[in-house]
Amino acid sequence: MAEASYTAPLATRGLGERLVDALLSGRGIWPAVPAIIVLTVVAVIPFVILLSLGFSDMEVSRGAIVSQTFSLQHLTNALTDPLYWTTFQRSMTLALTTTALCIFFGYPVAYLFLIGGRWTRRLILVLTIAPLLTSGIVRTYAWLVILGGRGVVNSTLMSLGLIDQPLRIMNTHWAVLIGMVQIHLPVMILPLIAVMSRHDGRLVEASANLGASRLGTLRTVILPLSVPGIGTGAALVFTLSYTTFVVPQLLGGGNYLNAATMIYEQVVYSLEWSKGSVSSMILMVTCLIVLVAIALVTNHFTRWTKGRDA
Amino acid sequence: MMQGPTGPATSVATTSPVLRIGGVGKRFGTFTVLDDCSLDVAEGEIVTLLGPSGCGKTTLLRCIAGFWDADSGSITIDGQDMARVPVNRRPVGVVFQSYALFPHLTVARNVGYALRMQGVPRAEAARRVAAALETVSLTGFEDRYPAQLSGGQQQRVAIARVLVMEPRVLLLDEPFNALDAKLRGTMQVELRQLIKSLGLTSIFVTHDQEEALTMSDRIAVMRAGRIEQAAPPDEIFDRPATAYVADFIGSSNFWPSLVADGRVSLPDGQSVATGLRGAVRVMARPHNLQIAPPAAGPWQGRVAFQRSVGPLVEYHVETEGGDAMVKVVAMRRAQDRGFADGTAVSLRIVDPALCAVYPA
Amino acid sequence: MRAFRHLSLSDALGIGLILCVAVFSLLLLVAPSIIVVMISFDTRAFVSFPPEGFTLRWYAEVFEQGELVDAMLNSLQVGLTVTLLCILLGVPTALACARGRFRGTTALSVFVLVPHMVPGIVLGVAVLFAGALVGVSPSIWLQSVAITVFILAVMVRTVQSRLVRLDPALEEAAANLRATPFQSLRTVTFPLLMPAILAGAVFTFVEGFDNLSVAIFTHGFRDRPLPVELLALVQYTSSPLVAAVSGVQIVLAIAALVAVSLSIGLDNVND
Repeated sequence: MAEASYTAPLATRGLGERLVDALLSGRGIWPAVPAIIVLTVVAVIPFVILLSLGFSDMEVSRGAIVSQTFSLQHLTNALTDPLYWTTFQRSMTLALTTTALCIFFGYPVAYLFLIGGRWTRRLILVLTIAPLLTSGIVRTYAWLVILGGRGVVNSTLMSLGLIDQPLRIMNTHWAVLIGMVQIHLPVMILPLIAVMSRHDGRLVEASANLGASRLGTLRTVILPLSVPGIGTGAALVFTLSYTTFVVPQLLGGGNYLNAATMIYEQVVYSLEWSKGSVSSMILMVTCLIVLVAIALVTNHFTRWTKGRDA
Repeated sequence: MMQGPTGPATSVATTSPVLRIGGVGKRFGTFTVLDDCSLDVAEGEIVTLLGPSGCGKTTLLRCIAGFWDADSGSITIDGQDMARVPVNRRPVGVVFQSYALFPHLTVARNVGYALRMQGVPRAEAARRVAAALETVSLTGFEDRYPAQLSGGQQQRVAIARVLVMEPRVLLLDEPFNALDAKLRGTMQVELRQLIKSLGLTSIFVTHDQEEALTMSDRIAVMRAGRIEQAAPPDEIFDRPATAYVADFIGSSNFWPSLVADGRVSLPDGQSVATGLRGAVRVMARPHNLQIAPPAAGPWQGRVAFQRSVGPLVEYHVETEGGDAMVKVVAMRRAQDRGFADGTAVSLRIVDPALCAVYPA
Repeated sequence: MRAFRHLSLSDALGIGLILCVAVFSLLLLVAPSIIVVMISFDTRAFVSFPPEGFTLRWYAEVFEQGELVDAMLNSLQVGLTVTLLCILLGVPTALACARGRFRGTTALSVFVLVPHMVPGIVLGVAVLFAGALVGVSPSIWLQSVAITVFILAVMVRTVQSRLVRLDPALEEAAANLRATPFQSLRTVTFPLLMPAILAGAVFTFVEGFDNLSVAIFTHGFRDRPLPVELLALVQYTSSPLVAAVSGVQIVLAIAALVAVSLSIGLDNVND
């Protein structure tokens, strides 16, 4: 009787089931193979090609490459072209300012999340996640409405009698900066909230018990513990605002060139693909440098997360 | 006096064992988790693997269940080698430490899981599920989800879930860990009676000696991947095979001594016979010592600390010349408080034959 | 409020200031959307604030403009394709990363993450160039695959973090209870992973629907997705039509948010 229970056959299985069994039972890399192939073909190889195009002269006709020869010309051209320098400098300054402002405006929200009750927390979550689910263009468009000649800001100021003529805010550096900060704010807040929701409330109590004021607790306990969140948020906001296309295009007007809009013009309008490759590479490398810097700074302030052996 | 690790030499060796663990070894990298473990478990026997965390007891259980493969040795059930039998074909049922009930399935579907996986016809499955739930007195809980049950009820679902597939060997991995202390005692007795009434051959893993003493027909004390001694609870307690077992189970006093003419002298002047030679360690249980006024004997000391443990009083006595505290347990006497802290006393070993002698 | 009890003056000022900034930030997050929705009901044919009158005319017009409807349908198709591909590629990859016993599970996790870390426009340009080299011209399919590669990491990470928190004893219990690996996957692992897969699906769908940075280089010449169409519309028209499109998107976003919160609970979104 008991013997029968394990020598009895299992339910009959089809070929597909047995295949899945075979793939899973070894706990091997097999389930990931399709993804690895797709990522290799659609990401790794294209990056290699992008790199190779930056180092070659070529002719493009009807969206296809006709001929290609090795050349360092485009790289040296780019590095000596003042337009590149000013454009990348502008992008970099803008992205760094945006990141700093996002920390400034985002951190208080995270603090409110920390001390808030259940409904405050939910409200913050909804207000943070909802914009991420709306398109960046829609959110940028809102700023056209607000900052435009007949927009919210100018209508208000004029009806208050503070100005006679509409202020020109649109198509300036300021419009781009305001838009950037507002659009990337949720990306900063989310990782901060993630850190805050894992926060051990007893630490705040312990700090208060040891005589710290609220501000003192914030400065000496909460802030240091949330550095990883700040690091993650800063890395995300920097990458997005350094490489964004929409905001400068819409709020900066036709003449406002940042790295992304420059690449777009080179690739789509002037069909200078080698230039586009070089610009993309510079964009990626400079972005990476800042990300590494952010990671180093974050690591410095989070040595306590490392194990004893580290 | 000395005994090696006891195999089937005890009361249950009459028929061939259901589960036979033969020289099982297991390494993780350079770390040896199991080292040549052998153990036979007879039909209907409950054997406990007892030891501190990291001693390999859970590893051995996982090897029997097939979650991990042993590196060497063999595991056979009813004479059939399990080496090439995958987890889902082994005739074992595991009750996990946290029960591992499927949170998205009702009690009835949890219990009927194994039957559905084997393609047992619906009507028969329903009948067997109902029977299993009745066995663990959970009839009427079919449509509850695990989260809606108490810890004790969850444990019973976990047991019913494996009972339903009629395993040859039941493996229980610290099943009382998730329960609060008060419930543990009654659940231990209930579970033992249930397993005994079903006649299930079982391996029970725990680090709690009281649990082991309550639950088992036989206890296998493990240390650093080896089975030190496998014997019935009384024997483990009264005749621990090694100093480690003596120290791990119950409370004990140790003294260094030397063998002379086949006898070891005890601190109170008595002596005990031994087959060992040279330097040895002598062990006496606290209840094998008697505490008396100083005039009563030559072994003098002073009470350093005393405490009441239920009906007993435990004395820690600082003996003259010795640096070790000697533990003595005596019945609490109604009239007086026994010997107060600081009182001078004398000690005597009640039965020298119950002292154990180990190599130093 | 609890937080304000027993505060010293400097504490009250400091914390008060911080909370003021917090409230301002929250308003900053939500106000633009509210203004856009208000504008979308304006009766006038140009964008101005405050709006005058109330009409649904712009919403009707959104669905009368063939190009916009086509663009929406294209984006819908891309969104669904991306989601499907991400589930098919991402869930098994998450299984391999979280449950695999081979060397390099960490390397695999990092490898999946790389395309997501690269700026979207760089990936878009790279895919466009690579396609040109082998003769694959931009199309709705190239766009879908490129966005899939870009967003796959989100699906993998969502599912993987759920898998890591899943008690491994559950799968062992299934095996012990006679389940084959496939049966265990179907009856235990998948049902328990479903909330994470759904959450991942919402985010990958939104990315497929809304992505501009990758799409702008890889979309088909005739199959323009909504973000590309919108970009042109915003640049070249000044009627509240775009506001109406935005209104539709905001409604969709709220629907997505409800879907996420029903499937995994908002509080778990971060993991």
